[in-house]
Amino acid sequence: MTLLAYLRSLISALRHPREEDNDLDEEFRGHIERHVEDLERSGVPRAEAERQARIAFGGCARLKEECREERHGFWLESLWRDVRFGLRMLCKSPGFTAVAVGTLALGIGANAAIFSVVRGVLLRPLANQDEDRLLYLRQSVIGDDDVTFSVPEIKDLGANLKSIKELGTMSQLDFTVVGLGQPREISAGVADGNYFDVMGLKPVVGRLLNPGDDGPKAGGAVVLTYRFWTTAMHSDPGVIGKTVRLGSYEGTRSATVVGVLEPSVPYPVETQIIANIVTSPHHLSATMVEGRVHRMTEVFARMAPGAKFESARAELNTVYAGMLAAHPDVYRPNDHYQLTVTHMHDQINSRAHTILWVLFAASGLLFVIACSNVANLFLARTVRREPELALRAALGATTGILRRSLLAEALVLCGSGLLAGVLIAAPMVTVLSRYAARFSARAVGLTLDSSLLWISVALAFIAAVFLAFVPRLPTGDSSRGFGISSSGLRVAGGSRRRLRIFAVTQITASFLLLAGAGSLLRTLLVLQQTQPPFETAHVLAVNLPVMTDGRTPEQVSEFYREVQRRVATLPGVEHVSAGFGAPWRDARFLNINFAFTMQGAQRENALDDPRARFRPISPGFFETMGMPILEGRDFDERDRQSAERVVIISQSVARELFPGQDPVNRELRWTDPVLKFLRMSYEPRRIIGVVPDLDDQDLIPSATMTIYQPSEQEGWNGQRLFVRAKNDPYSLVPAITREIHEIAADQPVEHASTLDDIRAEVMSPDRLNAVVFGGFASLALLISVVGVAGVLAFSVSGRTREFGIRLALGASPRHILTDVLLEGLVIAGIGVATGVLAGFFSVQAIAKYTTDFQVPGALPLIASAALILSAALIASALPAARAARVDAVQALRSE
Amino acid sequence: MNRHADLLPGTLDLLILKAVSLGSLHGYGILLRIEQISRGALLIEQGALYPALFRLVRQGYLKASWGISNNNRRAKYYELTAGGRERLRQEEASWNRLVDAIAWALGVEAVQS
Repeated sequence: MTLLAYLRSLISALRHPREEDNDLDEEFRGHIERHVEDLERSGVPRAEAERQARIAFGGCARLKEECREERHGFWLESLWRDVRFGLRMLCKSPGFTAVAVGTLALGIGANAAIFSVVRGVLLRPLANQDEDRLLYLRQSVIGDDDVTFSVPEIKDLGANLKSIKELGTMSQLDFTVVGLGQPREISAGVADGNYFDVMGLKPVVGRLLNPGDDGPKAGGAVVLTYRFWTTAMHSDPGVIGKTVRLGSYEGTRSATVVGVLEPSVPYPVETQIIANIVTSPHHLSATMVEGRVHRMTEVFARMAPGAKFESARAELNTVYAGMLAAHPDVYRPNDHYQLTVTHMHDQINSRAHTILWVLFAASGLLFVIACSNVANLFLARTVRREPELALRAALGATTGILRRSLLAEALVLCGSGLLAGVLIAAPMVTVLSRYAARFSARAVGLTLDSSLLWISVALAFIAAVFLAFVPRLPTGDSSRGFGISSSGLRVAGGSRRRLRIFAVTQITASFLLLAGAGSLLRTLLVLQQTQPPFETAHVLAVNLPVMTDGRTPEQVSEFYREVQRRVATLPGVEHVSAGFGAPWRDARFLNINFAFTMQGAQRENALDDPRARFRPISPGFFETMGMPILEGRDFDERDRQSAERVVIISQSVARELFPGQDPVNRELRWTDPVLKFLRMSYEPRRIIGVVPDLDDQDLIPSATMTIYQPSEQEGWNGQRLFVRAKNDPYSLVPAITREIHEIAADQPVEHASTLDDIRAEVMSPDRLNAVVFGGFASLALLISVVGVAGVLAFSVSGRTREFGIRLALGASPRHILTDVLLEGLVIAGIGVATGVLAGFFSVQAIAKYTTDFQVPGALPLIASAALILSAALIASALPAARAARVDAVQALRSE
Repeated sequence: MNRHADLLPGTLDLLILKAVSLGSLHGYGILLRIEQISRGALLIEQGALYPALFRLVRQGYLKASWGISNNNRRAKYYELTAGGRERLRQEEASWNRLVDAIAWALGVEAVQS
C-alpha cells in the first residue's frame, strides 16, 4: 500500500469512527445472516438456526473491539481519548496543574531563551564573506597578552606571504566631527584600502574604501557603519557625497561620505564611522609610519584560496620570528614576544564564550530541577491514584494501556508547559540579549529564534516521556503491593525512594546555582563596598573633545585655559581643573604608560626600567579630586611650556624608588622609545610633589605608579573638564555648557556625569551578572522548596496511620514534628553534599578548558548551604505541623 | 471434534490468503472456502476471522471493498493485493520447508526407536 493510501485511510479512520462502526455492524450481520440461511437450508428451524449462528459467531461487542484495535490509527485514536481524559483529570486538580505547568514553563522557557542567545551570538555565521578564511592577528608579551601592531611591524609581516592573500589594518581614533548633525566626538576607525576587502564586507549604499583611497594624495573618504547610519542619520541616503570635517589632535581634514557598510559585527571596538588614512594627520606622521613600538593598529588577514589555517599560521609565525631576530633592540628575548593567529569568528566569541556556556549550564540545571519537581508531583499524584489504576488493571487494562494514559496526561502537562514556556521565552530573550550585549556586539537586538522551537518541543517531549515512565504501575496481579482498598495510601517503598531522589536532585541543582550566584553577588558586593579613595560624589567629569579646525595649537591650549577660568567663576563651583582622561571611563587614555628612570634612585637590579601611568593634568587637579598633597606643591601658573620641566609622583613611585628618602627635588627622565614620536623630550624633570595613589583604572584600588605632568608642558591638552561642585553637580551642567558655547559655539560638551556615577556604570556588568544568575538561582530555589514541601507533605499523608499508632502508643506530637523536620533536613543535607561534590568535579573539569574561572570562595558556599537548609526547614514545617496534629483515633479508624 | 485439527498459531493468516487467492470473497465465504479446501479438516472459530482480516488489510495484503453478492445483498469483499500475493508465496514456501523439516525429524526418530 502506498504511503498516501495509508494516510488517507488513517485520516478517514480518525474522522469517521462512527461510519466505520456501522460498516462493521453490517459486515457482521451479513455474516450471521448467511450462516442462518445455510443452516435453514440443511433443515434447522429458523429460530434454532439463528441461535446456533450467533453462538458460533461469538460476542459481537468484543469482536468489534478487537477489529478496531487492528484498524489504522487505533493507537492515535485512543491516545487522543486518553488526552481528553487526562485533561479532565488535570482540570480536577488545578493546584497541581498550575504548579506543574508553571515549573515546566520556566524550565522550557529559560532553555529556549538561552538557546536563542547562544545560537545568535556563538553559532550564527558572521556577515563577513568566507568567514572561515578571515583571521585575526595579535601579539603578546610577558605581562600583556593583547598588544596591537605598529606600521613597520605590519610592513614586515605582510611582505611576501603565500598563504595569506592580503592584510587589512584598522586603528581607532576619536574625531570631532562637524557636518554630521551636531558637532560631536565620534569614535572612528582609520582603515587602509584593503581592509573591507579582507573583512569580506559589502556596502548597502555607495561604496567602501579601496586601495585608491590609500596614500597621502588621496581625498578624504568616510564610510558610515550601518548602525550609525540608521540611528544617527535616520537612514538618509542623501548623506552620501556630503563633505564633513574630521578633527583630531594633529589637525582637521575634510572628507567625503562615500558609502554605508552593511550590518556587521564591529571588532575589536565599535566605531561609528570608518575613514581612510589621509583623514588622520597622525597616521601620515613619522610617529606612525616609522615608530616600530608605536602600536595602535589592528591586523586582519584573509587566507589565500586553498590555504590551510595551520599553514597560514605557521607561515606568519616564521615571518614574525624573522622580524624579531632582525630587531633585537626592540624585541628583547626577556619579553617573549609572540604572535597569535585566530579565526575571526572564534576571536569575536572568545569573551562571550564562557559566560554564555555557563548560562547554558545554568538553564540546563533549571530544566533538571523543573523536571524533577514535576516528576515528584506527578509521582505523588500517581501513587494517590493507585486504587484507580489498580482497578483498571484488574478490569483487564494492560500495563501498556495504563502507561499510555499516563503518557497522555504527561503530554497534556508538558504541552501546556511548552506553550507557556514559549510565551515567557520571548521577553527572556530580550533581557538576556541586553545582558549578552555587554560581551558581544552580536547579541544586540536578538529575538526568540523560532527555528529553535523544536528544541523546546523536544524538551517538552523528553519531559513527558520521563514523567510517564517514572511511576511504577500496578500489574494484573494485584496481590502484590497495590491494594484497591479505598483507604488507599500505603505508599510503596520504591515510589517513596524515587520521590526522595528527585528532591535530592533538585536540591543539588539549586545549590549549584545558588553557590554560583552567591559568588557573583559577593564580587558585586565587594565592588560596591569599595569606596573611592577620595570624595568623588561631587566631582563632575565633562568631555570637551578637541577642536583643531582653524586653530593653532596655542589657541587650542588657550581655549582650555579660558574654559577653566570662566567655569571657575560660576556660582556653586568649588574647583575646576582639566585632565586627559576621566577616571574609570576613558580606558584608552588611561592605558597610557611610559617607561622612566630616576636619578639617584636605588635600584636593586638592572631590570628593565619601571613603567608609570602618564597623566597630564592642569593645576588644581588634586584639589578637585579631593586628594591631599603629601609633600611638595601642586602645579601652578609657573609651570608653563617655557619653564623648567616638573612632575608630581604618586606615593607608590616614591615608596618603590626612593625607599626611606625624600623624593622632592630629585629628577626623573622618561626613557620610553615611543616618546620621540609624541614630541616629548627625554630631558630630566624635577619632582615637585608627592600625592597619594589614585587607581583610576580599577574599581578595587591597588598600588599605582603614576607620574603627573602639567598639561601646559609639551602640549597634552586636558580635554576632560573636572568640576567639584558645592551642591548637586548636575545642576551646573547647563551653566557650564553655556559658558563654553560663549567661547566656542560649536564646541561639543558631552557625557557629563559624576565620578560616582561613572563607577556605578563601570560596575553594571557585574551587577547584571549577579542579577541574571541571582534570578536563575531564586527561581531554582523556589521550585526546590515547593518540591521538598511536596515530597514531605506526601510522605506525611502516607504515614498518617503510622503517626496515629505512634501517638496512640504514647509518642509526643513534638517527637513526630522533629521526625518530619529531620526528614526534610536529611533530604536537603544529602542534596547539598552531592552539590558540593558535583561542584568540585565540574570546577576541576572547567578548569581544564578555561583559566579565567574563579573558584567560588567558602563564604558563598556556606551561605547558600545555609539558605537551602533553612528553606528546606521552612518547607518541612507545614507538613510536619500536620503530622503532629494527627488525631490517633481518626487515623486508625480511617484504615 | 476429532476430525478437526487444531490450528497452529500464525496459520490462520496463511489460510485466509490462500482462500482469497482463489477469487475475491466475503467473510463468510472465506470461512466456507477454508473448510472446503481443507476437506473439512480445519474449522475456523468464526469470531477470530474478522480481527485477522482487519489486520491483513492494515498490513496491506488484502483489499476490502463493498459489493453485491449473488443473492443481491451488500457484502464486503476481500481480494489479494500484489503484496498479499507475494506474501502468500513466501508463507507457502516457508510452511513447506517447516513441514518437510518436521516430517524429516519425526521420521528419523522413528528409525532409531
